[in-house]
Amino acid sequence: MWDAFITLMINILLFIYDLIGQNFGWAIIIFTVLVRVVTYPLNARQMKSSKAMQELQNSKKWQDIQKKYKDDKETLAQKQMEIYREMGISPFGSCLPLLIQFPIIIGLYQAIIRTLAVTPLQLVNLSKHINDGANLIPINSQFWWMELSEPERLPILGVGIPILAILVVITSYIQTKMISPTGGAAGDGGQGAQMTQAMTMYMPFLMGYLALTFASGLALYFIATNLATIAQYMITGQANFDNILPKLPSFNR
Amino acid sequence: MTKIKKILLITLLALLALALGACSGRRIVAAGWSGVTATEETVYFSYGPQAYAVSLNNGVQKWQYPAEPINGVDFYAPPILTPDGEQLILGSYKDEIHSVNPVSGLQQWVYTVPVDSRSSIRFIDSPLAKDEMIYAPASNNTLYALDLDGNLQWEYKTEDPLWASPVWSENCQCLYQVSMDRYLYALDPKDGTLLWKSEDLGGPIVSPPAISETGLIIVSTFNNEVIAIDENSQAIEWRFPTENWAWASPVIDGEQVYVSDISGDFYALELATGNILWQIQPGGGIFDSPLILDDLIYFCTDSSSLVVVDQEGVVQRVQPFEGKLYAGPISGGDKLLLAPSEFDFYLIAINPNGVQTWGYPPAD
Repeated sequence: MWDAFITLMINILLFIYDLIGQNFGWAIIIFTVLVRVVTYPLNARQMKSSKAMQELQNSKKWQDIQKKYKDDKETLAQKQMEIYREMGISPFGSCLPLLIQFPIIIGLYQAIIRTLAVTPLQLVNLSKHINDGANLIPINSQFWWMELSEPERLPILGVGIPILAILVVITSYIQTKMISPTGGAAGDGGQGAQMTQAMTMYMPFLMGYLALTFASGLALYFIATNLATIAQYMITGQANFDNILPKLPSFNR
Repeated sequence: MTKIKKILLITLLALLALALGACSGRRIVAAGWSGVTATEETVYFSYGPQAYAVSLNNGVQKWQYPAEPINGVDFYAPPILTPDGEQLILGSYKDEIHSVNPVSGLQQWVYTVPVDSRSSIRFIDSPLAKDEMIYAPASNNTLYALDLDGNLQWEYKTEDPLWASPVWSENCQCLYQVSMDRYLYALDPKDGTLLWKSEDLGGPIVSPPAISETGLIIVSTFNNEVIAIDENSQAIEWRFPTENWAWASPVIDGEQVYVSDISGDFYALELATGNILWQIQPGGGIFDSPLILDDLIYFCTDSSSLVVVDQEGVVQRVQPFEGKLYAGPISGGDKLLLAPSEFDFYLIAINPNGVQTWGYPPAD
């Protein structure tokens, strides 16, 4: 089942690669954007659930029970569940679409890596996934200054600078920040806020670390998917630009 | 509830990291199958970060090179001895060709390819050592010609990676180099001048061609074809369609040539015409050449079987092994040597009846 899914993804990736003149970098970018478009209903549902949750957590009723039962976690949890029921919100509403997308993300990654076969065993593996792709082999894995099958470094004055990993950290940060709630849940110092802050802090660095050490085809995928997500939030008017830059203290004369 | 979400988030991140990590390790790992060369007393083979010399008689290790693995340097191509027997040449998956003393396993010299910073250069197949020269095909589309001191004499570039050893032709006194760019190149061994180039052979070529005494060059291609080229006229003499990619080198035996494909089809063809004599499919893909020994044909499949066939195409034995048998069998004295991948033994010696006489590394 999983193998069939990977085979499908590899063949779509190769189809795009062939269609656009055998440029694997652009094939990754186009395929990523396509996957984002196909999974848009899931993303939209996730965004809607996140927004509803954000509004709920900013509501006075929610804030009040946080204060009232701050020393009684069990009752607080019960009251929260009651509010969820009243408002018709599922606390997992924003997680479920993410879980469904998870295999798609892994599948896309595996398709990219398996297609970049640069050793005999990798090519043996690839040969089991493609029906009639011999005319596309070897895959042209050069993209701008990058060799997509290897971790990327751009030599500047004799020093290899990991440009893609830096871009992954920046775009991951922007993406995570712009969908984070302001005020309320983000600012009440509660567990929700802590979780959001932790995610904002760690997620970009985790992605950056992966981009630094894995094949740069993966880093390219991360950047493409981050930019696609940012664009998606901007188009649907849900981007929260206030969060991106650190707030400067205001001075009153 | 937030606690549950927090756990969920951490689990998701951990799963993501694990799933990605499980796919390929820290980066795309160089991964080939073991290459084996046997002399009367010693078997040399490379697998992963080290190359080994073991006694053909009992499988006891004589040396390993390098003594300790060097980070990121792997060896998979079969080691080859220079004609004078004084050097063992190892191509690495990391920009280097190593010369090692075959007796002591000590390094004699290392040639490092000037590296394009974008990618590692892999020597997928063995160099050819001929007269006073070493010809090493590399994944950066280049054939490097070195003298026996490791000094670069010339290089020749094709359009795509070189995964197959060059082959020496007595007839034209030249080198034949096949490339993934679908062409066969005839090169002057003195300076790498292109003597002639085949027409487009339709698909990538990853294994060395076979050359008959009559001057036919037999090439396996990924275009589901085996092609015979006359080296005098440089014209295609015949084409034989296979069921899938023809990966392994053809092997010529008298008036027959044996070819195979990665679907596991094994064919005997008439050398002069390419007409099929017989075909079998014992199961599993075939990625390396057969061995002809005492009128029997031995080949390995990736379903981990050693298949023994007679010259009429009658299967005599299908012997299962553990691991994956991508590499073909090698003859060593009265033994057959098999180099399984993904198995505890890197190398197995069996007698003609298929009974294992030793394995390396020895089981504890």
